[in-house]
Amino acid sequence: MRKLLILALILVMVVGTGSLASARQTKQITFWHIQVTGTGPELIQQAVDRYMADNPDVEVEVVPMQNDPYKTRIRTAMGAGDAPCVFMSWGGGPLYEYVQSEQVLDLTPYMMEDDYYTRFLPASLSNVTFDEKIWGVPVENTAVAVIFYNKQIFEDYGLEVPATWDELLEVAQTLIDNGIAPFSLANKTKWTSSMYYMYLVDRLGGPEVFASAANRTGGSFEDPVFVQAGEMVQQLVEMGGFNEGFNGLDYDTGQGRMLMYANQAAMELMGSWEASNFLAENEEFFNDSLGVFPFPAVEGGAGDPSNVVGTVGDNYYHIAPTCEYPDEAFQMLQYLIDDESVALRVEAGRIPPVVGVADMIEDPMLSQIMDIVENAASVQLWYDQYLPPELGEVHKDVMQALFGLEITPEQAAAQHEEAVAEYFGK
Amino acid sequence: MSKRDPLKMVSLLAIGMVWLVIAGMPFYFMAMTGFKGQFELFSGRSVFAFPEDPSFQNYEEVLTSGSFFTYVRNSLAIVGVSVVLILLFGSMAAYIFARFRFRLNRPLFILIIAGLVIPVHVTLIPVYLFTREIGLYDSLWALLGPYVAFNLPLTIFILTDFMRLIPREIQEAAYIDGSGPIRFFFRMALPLSTPGLATMAVYNSVILWNEFVFAFVLITSPDNRPLPLAIWEYQGQYAMNIPAIMSVLTLSALPLILIYIVGQERVLKGMMAGALK
Amino acid sequence: MNSVAHVRETGQFGRWRLLPRLNADTLTIFLFLLPTLVLIGIFVIWPIVNSFQLSFYKWNGIAPTREFIEFDNWSRLLRDDIFVKAFRNNLVVVSLSIAIQMPIGMGLAVLLDQGGRFFLFRLFKTIYFFPMLMSSVAIGILFKYIYDPSFGLINPALEAVGLDSWTRAWLGNTDTSLYAVIAVICWQYTPFYMVLFLAALTSVPEELRDASLIDGAGEGRYYWHIALPLVSGTVRTAIILSLIGSLKYFDLIWVMTEGGPSNSSELMATYMYKKAFPSFEVGYGSTVASALFIIVMGLAVFMLLFTRRFETEV
Repeated sequence: MRKLLILALILVMVVGTGSLASARQTKQITFWHIQVTGTGPELIQQAVDRYMADNPDVEVEVVPMQNDPYKTRIRTAMGAGDAPCVFMSWGGGPLYEYVQSEQVLDLTPYMMEDDYYTRFLPASLSNVTFDEKIWGVPVENTAVAVIFYNKQIFEDYGLEVPATWDELLEVAQTLIDNGIAPFSLANKTKWTSSMYYMYLVDRLGGPEVFASAANRTGGSFEDPVFVQAGEMVQQLVEMGGFNEGFNGLDYDTGQGRMLMYANQAAMELMGSWEASNFLAENEEFFNDSLGVFPFPAVEGGAGDPSNVVGTVGDNYYHIAPTCEYPDEAFQMLQYLIDDESVALRVEAGRIPPVVGVADMIEDPMLSQIMDIVENAASVQLWYDQYLPPELGEVHKDVMQALFGLEITPEQAAAQHEEAVAEYFGK
Repeated sequence: MSKRDPLKMVSLLAIGMVWLVIAGMPFYFMAMTGFKGQFELFSGRSVFAFPEDPSFQNYEEVLTSGSFFTYVRNSLAIVGVSVVLILLFGSMAAYIFARFRFRLNRPLFILIIAGLVIPVHVTLIPVYLFTREIGLYDSLWALLGPYVAFNLPLTIFILTDFMRLIPREIQEAAYIDGSGPIRFFFRMALPLSTPGLATMAVYNSVILWNEFVFAFVLITSPDNRPLPLAIWEYQGQYAMNIPAIMSVLTLSALPLILIYIVGQERVLKGMMAGALK
Repeated sequence: MNSVAHVRETGQFGRWRLLPRLNADTLTIFLFLLPTLVLIGIFVIWPIVNSFQLSFYKWNGIAPTREFIEFDNWSRLLRDDIFVKAFRNNLVVVSLSIAIQMPIGMGLAVLLDQGGRFFLFRLFKTIYFFPMLMSSVAIGILFKYIYDPSFGLINPALEAVGLDSWTRAWLGNTDTSLYAVIAVICWQYTPFYMVLFLAALTSVPEELRDASLIDGAGEGRYYWHIALPLVSGTVRTAIILSLIGSLKYFDLIWVMTEGGPSNSSELMATYMYKKAFPSFEVGYGSTVASALFIIVMGLAVFMLLFTRRFETEV
């Protein structure tokens, strides 16, 4: 009896240590993302769970983070040499800085395998393609800036969706006369105001004006187009086009959307991801009141009014070169954007950047946004993501000062130009 | 105290009430908003109004969603260990500075006390670089070094005063009895400085319980976050739900406030440590 | 280290040697100071030296290489309007903190001193101290919502007392953001000075008060002519503490405004953080940090000399 007991004990210990050992053998993948609002966390978790169910030897630790702190965090971690295996970026300038600092794994071989890359909309890959290599996987969303508006407020005051900038100003004036802020803006976050400026520049001069200034291929930020865009922005600010105190409000904590819910503001120019925030936070408002229209044309502007500002892909996922299990990490990424995930994303009010997504969308607002994207002659990536980080910060500061009426449009243009010229040495 | 003039009493009370409103109103707003529904603030009702339909739902969610107690535990662990080390190392150094005469006594003492005026931000980048080099980055224990180092100067400063008060005769008697300096420290100097140690324990606990900057720079994973950093992250998680954020703030402030109400004099004395001469 | 330790306490004096006899005392000194010196060396002294080193490089913090650029960062700092503004803001924070916290703190201390043991005043004292117990982060978040122009507390409160014209977006306005933050700093720290002063006032001997009251001096005269001079040492300490504390502010400002809008509430500490972290300029960030160090040390030394002279004159 006693021997039996001892034997049993030994058995338990062996099994116990055995299972411990096998637990240690699992492959660990850390995954940082910033999908913290609305259904974002669940969308990621379901894909990761499915992947782990199919690959029991891999354990994925998912770490969701808030948008703005993330930018600091990821950089800190990279500097520390322990970047997470899988992390996100917005593509563009900061990603290129990571690439140059040897912090990103070249994903071209994976993307080429079985022509996997053809799954994605071509525009979505352009933001992560440098030196003819693909460095990231587009997953989350097609995010272009559009104007969300409160249909009921428009109805109440007999307003029509404006097609031109002048009409927009008229709409704004009516709203102001009735004590409603035309636009809701939370600009402590700074990139929120940049959207107005980017659109106006694009409408006035087309995408080439910015490209040639930012790439130093003959253009300049002191081009009259930038100055004029600044003047139009300030005209809108001066007439009362935005809620009071916008420069102190935090977009990340929803201080902009609150005004929409409270019917204190009628419109918001924001990335199309905002639709899913509205849906998740206040479904009633989403169904009954929310509408969307593209940024209006500017009379006499050289830019194609179908152009949009935004990103096809929005959040890109990358693998760090320090990652021990890049193959597994890439497989996991594929779960994030497989058919099931795509369907769930569409259901949650998003537009994943895959071919044929337009046919899957039933929601009228989403298909409207999709139409806007599909008909766009060009997609201008957010300036603060296109520019190197140092210049992105300058741009955002200039925007806040411009909207705060602390500098003239000419000064804004000059500050941009000075910083960019100094950075590139020309 | 002498006679009370009722008119004066009333005016004193009135002034007292004014500051009570200033000091207390934010707490009232915080605790009460936590009982409100998500959209109640936008409904146009006064922000001072009592909740329409008071519910514990926000508080419950914060407490049951799992992580809150992890953060509290992290904070307790790092604060606890740090304070013990601060008191140990601090009293050891204070003992030396107070009881031994040697050439470097004064210069070393001044060097350490100079640490009082150094803004932690100056050291942020190198400390961060150092932490990642020794592989402690993003672990709760990465905070230990900075936490202890930055709170040692004041602790040594205060405890040195206490150790100086120990009468010389006691020491001589102990030495005659054959105690060496180390034994004297543990047997006599340390117990005799209990009031000072208690004061510094309170002071350092409050300061570290609320510390943010190092946690912000040295820790990323949610599982390793101490409370102040977690509060900050909750903002994103509960974006747009002000009542939920307010309930997080209330819950995080509650432990110290409760301790304070129970042991008011001790806490006050501790907090004054920084100003004791 | 113990090579220069000279132990007299136990009578083991003697000639200087390169290595003194290893007796119990030398060993104790060495052992007991070791942890403190190591920790302070690693986390306080070395970082300061390292900051100065980094200030001569251009480095984004993640690239494998860094570029030595001599004094470029320093000359940029001297031309940097934002740094100058941050420095000026720091001075505003320092002077307003002292100018607001000291009188109010003293006023409240006198109030509580007068109130004595009456239970309402003890309740006052308890609640007055609450702000000191909250973390700056929590306070920052709380006040972000309190200042919200549409859903906050401040504007309705102003309207309630008939100050409608005062309502504004306190944090969103470059003219007011710094002062809005300072108000919160004062809200948080005034209780500290209140308790400090109260302790000093209570320690004034009862006989002094009674004597002065019998002499026909009113309570007001008693505080002004008798009590205040007696607690002047505490006041001076408080001012030094407030000065040093004000130069270090970071948490609250970072959470509430991040130094904005348009750098209107920028302090040296927030500016350093912004440069070193979000904008990838570790070299320049270190330069700002080093400058901050020089300024704080300079002020501290100045204060020390000043108060010492003050003390010898009085």
